[in-house]
Amino acid sequence: MSDAATVADIRDIVVDDVFPNAPEVIWKTLTTPELMGRWLMTPTGFEPVKGNRFTYQTTPAGQWDGVIHCEVLEVIPNQRLAYTWYAGHETNVGYGSRLETVVTWTITKVDDGVRVRLVHSGFRTPKNDHAFKGMSEGWVKVVQTVGEGTESERPR
Amino acid sequence: MSMLEAAPINAVMRTLADPTRRAVFERIVLSDEITVAELTRGSGVTQGAVSQHLKSLKQAGLVAERPEGRKVYYRAEPQGLAPLVDWMGDYAVFWRDRLANLRTLLQEIDP
Repeated sequence: MSDAATVADIRDIVVDDVFPNAPEVIWKTLTTPELMGRWLMTPTGFEPVKGNRFTYQTTPAGQWDGVIHCEVLEVIPNQRLAYTWYAGHETNVGYGSRLETVVTWTITKVDDGVRVRLVHSGFRTPKNDHAFKGMSEGWVKVVQTVGEGTESERPR
Repeated sequence: MSMLEAAPINAVMRTLADPTRRAVFERIVLSDEITVAELTRGSGVTQGAVSQHLKSLKQAGLVAERPEGRKVYYRAEPQGLAPLVDWMGDYAVFWRDRLANLRTLLQEIDP
């Protein structure tokens, strides 16, 4: 496979925003289960400790029970939190298909508050899905082309 | 809660989940235009089966046809794959929504 195709294969979602709050306040909303439940989802068994395993419960699909399995990878208080985001089932296509991804939150001080950046990394397009195993390079290039076209039309 | 809605992507993925149909689609992608007879050659399945797969691919918006004389030429419609890309777009929307929730929560607990 060419480099271009490999790049097209794995993608990240990056969303960030500036908040007028102190890093400590943001950190609390990212790491306190009761507060997490109020803007994201209520975790089960979460502790901001490296190696901690916890889950989120969402809508089941097919053979997937709707449980998102997470393991804390990195904790730097008031700065950085990373955890795995494993979800879905190999037999599903589209929603509920197998995901082996990582979610990373970064808090950085800026002039007027803090920047909160989320990177959801490790999406494989389209090989993340059972249905697409064995696709040829030519096909991946088509997806890449379509991706570029679609993204340019999206507001950033 | 419903984290992500099942989008039209499911239709596209279901269409391509069949290995034979996917192989037919790949061959169309790799040619500019191709006829049923050419697709059947070396495919290991009958022309009738290939025609059925073409029908499904057409319905999913992945393939377009152009009749010329007694022949019909098929070509790939890359924009039919757009829902695939939208699947990741759904996750991007999911996170943007969550960050908007976070802003609302922060205004409440730390005004």
